[in-house]
Amino acid sequence: MNNADIITNNLPLFIPLIILEVGLDLAALIHIFRHKNYRMGNRILWVLLTLLVNPIGAILYFIIGREQY
Amino acid sequence: MKATWFFIRKELLESWRNYHLLIITVVFVIFGIEGPLMAKLTPDILKMATGSGLTIKMPDPTSIDAWQQYYKNMTQIGIYILVVIFSGTISNEVAQGTLVNLVTKGLPRYSVVMAKYIVAYIQWCLAIMMAFLISWGYTSYYFPDNRSPHIWSGMWPLLIFGLLFVAITILGSSLSKSNYMGFLTSVVVFIVLTLLNLFKSTGRYNPIALVTDNIYLIKGTEQISHIMPAIWITIISTMVIIYLSVLSLKYKKL
Amino acid sequence: MAILELHDVKKRYGDKQVLNGLSFAVPEGSIFGFVGDNGAGKTTTMKMILGLETIDSGDILIDGQKVHYGNSGVNREIGYLPDVPEYYGYMNPTEYLTLCGQLTGISKEDLSIRINQMLKTVDLPINKRRIHGFSRGMKQRLGIAQALLNRPRILICDEPTSALDPNGRGEFLDLLASLRGEMTIIFSTHILTDVERISDQVGILHDGILKANDSLDNLKKKYAKSQIVLKFDSDEIANQVSQILGDSATRKDKKVILNYDGDYQAVAESVLNMLLKSHLIPMSMDKQEASLEDIFMEVTS
Repeated sequence: MNNADIITNNLPLFIPLIILEVGLDLAALIHIFRHKNYRMGNRILWVLLTLLVNPIGAILYFIIGREQY
Repeated sequence: MKATWFFIRKELLESWRNYHLLIITVVFVIFGIEGPLMAKLTPDILKMATGSGLTIKMPDPTSIDAWQQYYKNMTQIGIYILVVIFSGTISNEVAQGTLVNLVTKGLPRYSVVMAKYIVAYIQWCLAIMMAFLISWGYTSYYFPDNRSPHIWSGMWPLLIFGLLFVAITILGSSLSKSNYMGFLTSVVVFIVLTLLNLFKSTGRYNPIALVTDNIYLIKGTEQISHIMPAIWITIISTMVIIYLSVLSLKYKKL
Repeated sequence: MAILELHDVKKRYGDKQVLNGLSFAVPEGSIFGFVGDNGAGKTTTMKMILGLETIDSGDILIDGQKVHYGNSGVNREIGYLPDVPEYYGYMNPTEYLTLCGQLTGISKEDLSIRINQMLKTVDLPINKRRIHGFSRGMKQRLGIAQALLNRPRILICDEPTSALDPNGRGEFLDLLASLRGEMTIIFSTHILTDVERISDQVGILHDGILKANDSLDNLKKKYAKSQIVLKFDSDEIANQVSQILGDSATRKDKKVILNYDGDYQAVAESVLNMLLKSHLIPMSMDKQEASLEDIFMEVTS
């Protein structure tokens, strides 16, 4: 058994999970690139966090990184 | 009373426009899926880790493993994400001065606290319930066993614990202008309650029981009546803490 | 009749006695300019009137009713424009005004009509644009809209013009002046020309009390000396003139400044006669109005 098998055997679990996580990351990235100012951190930090720490990076961006008004 | 209702609607709009509702939905749907998923994968992962040639005796995962994973997600990350989101709810408005206009227009300060508490708690319930229902669906599909007969008894205490935990966050947020005070207060209280729990004799009375005993309640090895004292203490402390928050905002310079 | 009365109001922050027995009354329908240095206690006074600040001792009455800290009952009679109004940036003006209107108890049917009317009055577009992107001037205008929304009897503005450019300031003052008669307006400022432009009544706050409280004309009569300024072709002529006119005149380069009491016309006639006799012809002759600035300096010195 290898990685691919694990995923194909559990598609009903993986498909929504992947859609949600990719969607969340995309939403965060789009938001990061459409805004110049952040409550804390800078653009590079948030892009890296979003891409590398899944899905916590994107969540953190929306909660504490995004400029609030 | 009317003012509280208008402010509740404002809070809901705020949560929607600030993407808070969206984030909560996405995150807790993910958590709902992750519980059963991790339960299902753990044997495979272990197998790979030990090398595929070896066949070790592993008990097949059960619904109990799935629920255990769910409560781990909820009580170790989930509720902290919620608390971070709610953390700035009062402090932010006081720091920015957005309440001045509304208070001079006749919005009572207690309405601010009540509305914020109610909306935060609604989001808490929404998050927990959503993850719960998804987890339930997958668990009954993948693990159709009878090892977890009382799943609802495991979930209710988590909702009741939210009453207290959200109230503590609101109190923290009303004490300081810093956006992180609400979060910090909740974390400190959680740690203190956990430490108190080391004294086994206090277990039934400690609100922390509402988030530690869930799996026994599901299995049926513990009855809800056992933690009834903790439930009452949670509800009473909630009322005291909300009252303190109202007092704190009453004398706050806006 | 006075719509707002303060009786012996005191307020202390730590060691600093900010208000030291402040008493004054504002007649209904007037535009009251509240003048004082930065830190004199203008904002504190206004916040106490609004019930946003505790009162150490003394009474504040609005239309005869006592103001209590945190009590919102009388607040429905007052519209307040803070110096830097803060809004929820994620709302558009209509949504924000709707929230304000609901809190003041305006009925649903009236509210949307009233909001559109107010947005037109302050010249803000009626669309979905969120407040987040608004300029300082637009926020100030929205501030007026929210303050006037429920047709208050008193409008209180805290330093409303200090952050605006000269154009915006002029427009804002015109807007305030256009409300004359509809409501009582109290506005604080340290820009004295603003007060001169629109106020009926001026209060000068200094050392924690109101040093002066009167109409601008009366203050001028009371505090400022009347002056005539004559300008001549050269220093020499000016020097000659100042000798002719005697002690009440002082020379400053080509100008001669004459202090006088009583009627301008009589004084001017005699001065001109004296000059004509000596064949000294001024290039210009001005009746000098006392400015509020002079009065302010004199009152607070």
